[in-house]
Amino acid sequence: MVVLNITYNGLSVDYPLEIDYQISDHDVKRIAVEVIRSGHVKGLQIANLPTNTFDHYVVDRFHGPQNKGERIYLRPRVPFGA
Amino acid sequence: MPGRIVFCGVGALGSTAAMLCRTLDAELVFVDFDRVESKNLLSQVYVKPSIGKNKAEALKLQLANFYGVKAEAFGVRLTRDNTTTLLDKATLLVDAFDNAESRRLLSEYACAAGKPLVHGAISADGTLGLIRWDERFTPDEEDTSGQATCADGAHLPMIGLLGAVLARTIQDFHTKGARQDALVSLSGVLLSG
Repeated sequence: MVVLNITYNGLSVDYPLEIDYQISDHDVKRIAVEVIRSGHVKGLQIANLPTNTFDHYVVDRFHGPQNKGERIYLRPRVPFGA
Repeated sequence: MPGRIVFCGVGALGSTAAMLCRTLDAELVFVDFDRVESKNLLSQVYVKPSIGKNKAEALKLQLANFYGVKAEAFGVRLTRDNTTTLLDKATLLVDAFDNAESRRLLSEYACAAGKPLVHGAISADGTLGLIRWDERFTPDEEDTSGQATCADGAHLPMIGLLGAVLARTIQDFHTKGARQDALVSLSGVLLSG
């Protein structure tokens, strides 16, 4: 199983994805829009979320400890430290 | 032997984290070419008498004057020509730069020299912060060149929160060798790694 973490509008929420294949960044962004629109992401329900909301977002992929599945982070860019 | 922690960039995030590392049994070193402007008082730890001073020097002076803590300051821009001179003795590098080019330079040096490097990063709108160790970090470019940063003071609590998490990450590495990543949002702090 894959855990998709979506950070939007200051909120960060985990959403379990029942897939066993590699999905593209484009699909991650498309799925995120759909699940937020549908109200399946606790705390993030926006029925009219624009399709291009995550176009400039970054997709990070990590494996959990002891190979406990993949974690995918969909997040805004973070260019600044200072 | 105490460690030597080098903060590269002491603006909003770097200065906040450095201030919270002042009780560590380590030499603190600051590298930043920039000067303190009055607008920086809104989002950085600098105080009014520091305006006009180099940020690295100003932070060193504030630590000495307010807390009696000694630190070292290099008021220069980090370049390929001076990385070894400035960073060679470091036991930990902290990246709080504000641009991808400087982050890449630091990352290349850390990789080549085998130095541990942790990155701190915040989004322009102040809604998300990341702490990531170099092996899992890729610098983000700005969405648009010259993009406005969260420098207006509205996001000071988020900068404080992220600075505190970065300071704790530094502490955990310095005392236990731990390397933990963190994702900081309004939902809380998600630790991983």
